[in-house]
Amino acid sequence: MTVRQWLLIGPLVLLLAISSAPAASGQSTPTGDAAAGTCIPEGGIPEQDSYLIGMSQANEGEPWRQAMNDQISSAAAAHPELEVVFADAAQNNAKQVADVENFLQQGIDLLIISPNEAAPLTDVVAKVCAEGVPVIVLDRKVEGDQFTMWIGADNEVIGQRAGEYAAAFCAEQALDPCNIIEIRGLEGSTPAKERGDGIRAGIAANPSATIIAEQNADWLREKAIPVSQAMFQANPDVDVVYTHNDPMTEAAIISAQNAGLNLDEILFIGIDALPTPDGGIRSVIDGRIDATYVYPTGGAEAIDYAVQILEQGETPPAEVVLETEEVVDENAQELFDKFTGGGAEATPAA
Amino acid sequence: MEQAALEQRTVPRENSQRALDILLRFQSVFGLIIILVLAAILSPVRDGNNVFLEPRNLLNIIRFASENGIIAIGVTLVILTGGIDLSVGAVLALCAVGAAAFMTRYDLGTLPTVLLVLALGGFVGIVNGLVTTRFNIQSFITTLAMLGVARGVASLWSGGYAVPLAFGDGEGLAPARFKAIFGGQVNLLGLEIPAPVFYFLGVGLIASFLLRRTGFGRHVYAVGGNETAARLSGVNVDRVKVIVFAISGLLAGLAALLHAALVNQGSHIDGNGYELNAIAAVVIGGTSLAGGVGTVVGSMIGALTLSILDNILGLRNVQSEYQAILKGVIIVLAVVIQRQRR
Repeated sequence: MTVRQWLLIGPLVLLLAISSAPAASGQSTPTGDAAAGTCIPEGGIPEQDSYLIGMSQANEGEPWRQAMNDQISSAAAAHPELEVVFADAAQNNAKQVADVENFLQQGIDLLIISPNEAAPLTDVVAKVCAEGVPVIVLDRKVEGDQFTMWIGADNEVIGQRAGEYAAAFCAEQALDPCNIIEIRGLEGSTPAKERGDGIRAGIAANPSATIIAEQNADWLREKAIPVSQAMFQANPDVDVVYTHNDPMTEAAIISAQNAGLNLDEILFIGIDALPTPDGGIRSVIDGRIDATYVYPTGGAEAIDYAVQILEQGETPPAEVVLETEEVVDENAQELFDKFTGGGAEATPAA
Repeated sequence: MEQAALEQRTVPRENSQRALDILLRFQSVFGLIIILVLAAILSPVRDGNNVFLEPRNLLNIIRFASENGIIAIGVTLVILTGGIDLSVGAVLALCAVGAAAFMTRYDLGTLPTVLLVLALGGFVGIVNGLVTTRFNIQSFITTLAMLGVARGVASLWSGGYAVPLAFGDGEGLAPARFKAIFGGQVNLLGLEIPAPVFYFLGVGLIASFLLRRTGFGRHVYAVGGNETAARLSGVNVDRVKVIVFAISGLLAGLAALLHAALVNQGSHIDGNGYELNAIAAVVIGGTSLAGGVGTVVGSMIGALTLSILDNILGLRNVQSEYQAILKGVIIVLAVVIQRQRR
């Protein structure tokens, strides 16, 4: 996966990084005209007719991040004075550094960044901040405090909510033991660890609920199909399937069907609940996934705060933790309409 | 005159080639048997049954080998000519998006969809071949570029999200026949055999026949063995190359149909890294990346070997880090053993 991307983009980015390096070193000292940690120049941001916002995305290939971009676009559409330019780092730290440098060259008034990784992006974000350009960091953090604010959600809390839901299901159905299998996101990634830790905390109160098998499927639907097929083969007595994202839940449902298991007797829980045609909310509406949890992208909120910072001269809170929402049969359609701006799509038959 | 002389010289070489082929094929079969036996021994046992050896599990293994196997067969042909096709994973994504879009957005039936998708895959392959031969660029570069192009087009076409495939009658729904043909099961001798298995075996048979029994097949080996000699002896080298790339693209298209039917969607991010899985299968199957030496059957066995590994490691609930390490070791081991035999 990364080999392909490295081969493709690596040399280009190296060239870019090398060619932009001298400029970077000349400007890296903080100018001191920005208050520490806010990035807002002392006299405030001068009033303008229009504002240019740079949005640096870690990887548009992930549906959740695509949704973040889309939510930023549609939120910004309500503010004609805002122009948003997007850059996609395609999962490459070096490319994302170059993207941000490019934004500075373009003279952005505010940076929104969803970093690919914390440490490699910290310096360039600090540099933007030092130039008096406010920075809103989404989802993954950067190190230190050289940014205006961070907006994100808590994966562990979400995992715990899912675990509590599973434990309640086990108790309600009087299942003892209650067998849970877990399909995990990319091994070593922070959200996979946190979503895994979360469910363990969530089911702790019900000793009959136990995770009997766990496998990694890299967040991918196509990979989760053979993985879950083998898991069902080894453990046909499954009561709950917990996956770290909705595409892998969909995969587990396909596999369970192939294995001849009774789908009605198994609880399928996912995470992310994207309001997209291929997303988890649609799946709940169509009666496949039983419960999924919104992992908010913060896209719309980022634009709200950008307006506050740029146009109203306000200093926002340093940290905003977004709440999740449990999506089940009862509220799925309502939430879908809410997130897509109302009845965007008719419900097709499942 | 020259022609005759050359032919005389190639005859004994072809015999030794055949002997080598058999040896190599024997090697990959041998590896497959070892892995099978190990998997059966290491398999978890439930209610006195060996889980790995349950017919349903064995069929799953072949089913999940099918996509990679079909792609690997196409890549084998390209590699035999001394080239490489890195675009197959992206072509699979493009064709899967195409399949889903044709049926759900443009409301096409199963047959037109299948023909269009195969044509699309074949077309991309032909472009790979033409760019490689006309501009005399290494196929590594051509197909690396195509990988980016195909994925970019797929992403634009899908609009950045997967195109969902729901089956049934009505607007926005794909024909149930498509699911049955590419993702269904066929009841044979009391066994529910997944449809992909038939495509895998069928493609393998046809490709083997093409390579061993036709002039085209001999030309493929000739081009990969010694391109200059092949050219001098009157083989239309460029045409052979374009055809193998076309076949590789077409087979990536076929794999895309199976993929879309399996995952119920066409996604621009699917098939990431599939080119490397296919190359792994080809290498385990004993085909030389230098070209000229190798078999389709070997690559099929390579795909099966990888699928068995995935399956038994999953059944045993082995951590993914160890799975990755083990796969790497086995690929190198397979090549080392081949060297010993030579």
